[in-house]
Amino acid sequence: MFGLIDAVSFYARCEKVFDPTIRNKPVVVLTNNDGCICAVCPMARELGIPKFIPYFKIKSFLAKHNVVVRSSNYELYADLSERMMNVIARYSDRHYVYSIDESFLHFRNFACIDDWHQYGHVIRKAVWCETRLPVGVGFGSTLTLAKAANHASKKLAGFDGVAVIDDHSSRKEILSRMTLTDVWGIGTKLGKRLSMLGLKTGWDLANQSPKSMRSQFGVVVERTVNELNGMPCLNWDEIGQDKREIFSTRSFGQRVSDEHALKAALSSHASIVAKKVRGQQSLIKRLVIFASSSPHDDNYYKKSVIYEFPVATDNTLKIVAAISYVFDSIYMPGIMFYRCGVGAVELENSQFQQQDMFNVTVNNPQLMKCYDSVNHRYGSGAIEVAVAEKNDKWAMRRNFLSPGYTSKWSEIPKIIC
Amino acid sequence: MKVIPVYIEAGISGFESPAAEYKELNLSLEELLLQHPNATFFGLANGRSMEGRGIFDGDVLVVDRVEHVSNGSVIVANFNGCFVCKIIDTDKGLLLSASDENKPIAITEADSFQIEGVVNVSFRLHKKLPKLLSCLA
Repeated sequence: MFGLIDAVSFYARCEKVFDPTIRNKPVVVLTNNDGCICAVCPMARELGIPKFIPYFKIKSFLAKHNVVVRSSNYELYADLSERMMNVIARYSDRHYVYSIDESFLHFRNFACIDDWHQYGHVIRKAVWCETRLPVGVGFGSTLTLAKAANHASKKLAGFDGVAVIDDHSSRKEILSRMTLTDVWGIGTKLGKRLSMLGLKTGWDLANQSPKSMRSQFGVVVERTVNELNGMPCLNWDEIGQDKREIFSTRSFGQRVSDEHALKAALSSHASIVAKKVRGQQSLIKRLVIFASSSPHDDNYYKKSVIYEFPVATDNTLKIVAAISYVFDSIYMPGIMFYRCGVGAVELENSQFQQQDMFNVTVNNPQLMKCYDSVNHRYGSGAIEVAVAEKNDKWAMRRNFLSPGYTSKWSEIPKIIC
Repeated sequence: MKVIPVYIEAGISGFESPAAEYKELNLSLEELLLQHPNATFFGLANGRSMEGRGIFDGDVLVVDRVEHVSNGSVIVANFNGCFVCKIIDTDKGLLLSASDENKPIAITEADSFQIEGVVNVSFRLHKKLPKLLSCLA
C-alpha cells in the first residue's frame, strides 16, 4: 500500500498556528517580495480570491473584506514542515518527503492493518495534535492512486480528510469524479489532447488500452493508465528524481538600474544555483541568464542569454564568471530592472562525466567542499564571490512578515496569565 | 542526531587525557525538559494571575501539545483569539487562576476555545537576557 499525505493550504495554515487572532479570519500569503498571492486559506478561497494574482491588483478587495495578508515566513514554514514530517514518518516503514508539505509513504510490513480508513484518521489526528496542521490522507495500491485518493480526501464531497482506493468500487467512485488534469502527471496540454479523444474523467483514462496510449502519447501516459489500474509502474527513485533544471530568480525589493547592482544580483543567483547543483551531484552544461523590467511597464524590456560551458562544471567561481561574459548583452542603461535570474537548463551527472580531450576540467571539488561547509556552518553568505556582494535594495521585501515564533527567542508568542 | 565528538590526534603530543575514555554527551536542557520535542513550543508569560502555581510575569512557558490534559492541569489555550495560561477545571468547564485577584472564567458556547497544550515546565530568568528583552518590551 502507498500513501500520500499533504497539508491543506499549508502556508496560510502555518500563519494561523501561533497567531490565535487570525484563526477565524481569511488569510492569504504573498510570494517572494510580496509580488503575488501564493496561498489562500479555505475562508479566503470562499471569497473567490484566486492564487497567483499580483498583490497590487487585488489589494483593495482584500482590505474591503478584512483579509489578513502575510509575507512568506519561510523560517516558520520550514520548522512546521519538519515537525509535520517527523510525525508522519512514524507511521510507515518508508517515507519520502516530496515537497515542503507533501510526503509519500510506502507500507511494506503492515499486513496487520485491516482498516486503512481508520489508520488514516490516526495519522491525521496525530499530525493535528502535535502541529495544529490539518492534512489530507490518501491510500492506494500505486503512487498515482494514492495521489488520487489524496485529492478525493480533500476536494470531493463525502470524504472527511481520508480516502482509500483498495478495490474496484472505490477506484471507480473516485476516478470517475476526477477530471483528467486532476490525475497526477496529466498537465493542461496533455489533458486537452486526451479530451479530444472524448475522455472526460480519470476513470475514462483508466479504461484506455495502455498500448494504444503509449503509441499516441508516449510511455508516461501508458504508465499512468497502468498505475490507475493498480499496477505499480512508478517507483521511489523516479519520483525522487534529481531536478533537470535548477533556477534562482526573484524580483527586486526596489527597482535597480545600476549596472553593478544588477551584476551583483545575477552573480548571487548564479552562486545559489551552483550550490543547489552541487547538492544533487550534477554539473552545469548550459546556463540561462535573464533580466527584465516589469511586464506592467510601458516598453517592457526582457533579455535572456544562454551560456554554454566548454566542460560541464559545478564550480561557483566559473559559474559566476559566466555572468561577466554575457553581462554586456543583457544590461541596458536606463532600464529600471524589476526581475532577474539564472537557471541551469542542461545538467550532467557528475559521476558519469564525459571527459573532453581538449578541454581540461575546471572543477575544484576541494575548494567547493570547503566553500559549502563554511557557509553551512556560519550561515549562508558567510563566504561569497566578491561580485555577488549583498545589497539592501534587492534583499527580499517582506512587509507583512509574521514573527519568528519558533526561531527567534525575542519573538516567541505571548501568553496572557 | 547527537554525536559525541572524539578528535583524532596526529603526532605525539604528551600523554593522552585519562578522561578521554569517559567522554559522554554533555547535559542538554532540552533533553531534560522536553518530553515531546516535536510537539513543544515556547511562550512568554504575561501577567500575574498564575503566581500561585509559580508562573511569574516574564517566565518562559514550555507548552507540550501531546501531554494529556486532566482536571487541574496548567494549560495554554486559545480563548477568544488570545493565548492564555490557566488551570483547567474539566468538571465544571472553568478556567481558574492561581491568584485571589482573578475570578474563575466559565467557558460558554459563545466562546471560541481550544486547548493548545499543557505546561509542565516553565523557567524564570533571574537576570534579563538580551535575547529575550525585545519580547518583554
